Amino acid sequence: MTAGYHLLVKRLLDGELTLAELPPELRAEGEEALGLVGAADRAPVALSPALEERVMATVRRHAASSQAASLGNRAWRWLNTPRDVQVRLRVRPWTVWAGVLAAAAALALLLGRPTPQAVPGAQARGGVRDSVLVRFVLYAPGAHRVAVAGTFNQWDRGAAPLVPAGRSGVWTTTLALPVGQHQYAFVVDGARWVADPGAPAVDDGFGRRNSIVAVTAQGARL
Amino acid sequence: VGVLLGLEGEATDAEVVRAVLAGDVERYAVLVRRYRDRYARYASRMLGSRDVAEDAVQDALVRAFDRLADCREPDKFAGWLFLILRNRCFAEKRRRQRQERPLDSTDELFAAPDRPDGVYEQLERARALERALLHLTPEQREVFVLKHTEGLAYEEIAGVTGATVASLKMRMHRAYDRLRELMKEHL
Repeated sequence: MTAGYHLLVKRLLDGELTLAELPPELRAEGEEALGLVGAADRAPVALSPALEERVMATVRRHAASSQAASLGNRAWRWLNTPRDVQVRLRVRPWTVWAGVLAAAAALALLLGRPTPQAVPGAQARGGVRDSVLVRFVLYAPGAHRVAVAGTFNQWDRGAAPLVPAGRSGVWTTTLALPVGQHQYAFVVDGARWVADPGAPAVDDGFGRRNSIVAVTAQGARL
Repeated sequence: VGVLLGLEGEATDAEVVRAVLAGDVERYAVLVRRYRDRYARYASRMLGSRDVAEDAVQDALVRAFDRLADCREPDKFAGWLFLILRNRCFAEKRRRQRQERPLDSTDELFAAPDRPDGVYEQLERARALERALLHLTPEQREVFVLKHTEGLAYEEIAGVTGATVASLKMRMHRAYDRLRELMKEHL
């Protein structure tokens, strides 16, 4: 078995002594030891140029899955948060379409706010600061198509269709509206403009009435 | 684009880390380019194989991204990344020990085509040293690599590994003795 290096030789290798500072009888051992550590390869090691793209492809996947998981968690929390939902329907005879539409009622629901806001015709639940979810409900038995058009969708009668709730005659949709005051009306069967009787309305200047909903960061009010 | 390129060259590690944490995932490429080769030699010498080292560096960079929010001192990203790579290298050693697959493929480390002729003897000694290093404990090998390959002082090694200078010297002195025994045919 080879004997270990003398302590002074180890200090030579550590850089604490020079070869000349070693006692003469240790200089040969010192030269041998310097040869040993001098064999250490200090040449740079080049890795594959493809490494960068492999790393970035992986981190992009991880970032995407992390984002999806975060959204999923938030959606799951939202779905599991108890909230009150108030639906109010009003039925009125409609003068022009008497016997066809018995009544129309509208309800705007604001989703997501921690505390309910007692607003006639609406249940406000604020969430997003620059837009809020507002649910539109119309009772229109016998209608084939219902949509809501307003200032938020440039009065496009095909942009926001409502979906029938079975055969109950109730049609609903939920829209994300920006904060601000909006005018709207329901469009029944593509031609009949129906104001929301449960909401304040203004004259549109063409002989019709437009309903008004005010959307704030705290909720929506009719 | 010109502005972005300029920012990449001048941005500090901390600035890039904060940008990535703010959602700019693509900026992480700056750190990948900055550090991919800086620690390649350490990983190669620790693992005895450039291919295994490349996997380790890649894993370390990905793990660093995944845990970037835990990097409490973004201006010390380099040292933080080194610790991740270091753990990866030590884990690789343990994994191979369990699988009884020794780290012994050192020849590829010396296969660089730009080596000049007439250095065959030095090359043989270097290969012998690399093989001998694989017979040291990972802690002994690390202190040898950091001091004699990477050129760090004991105080700097203590700074990146957390060990004391005294314990590092003890490891190194034992490594000298072990290497002398392992290298006796080449000295």
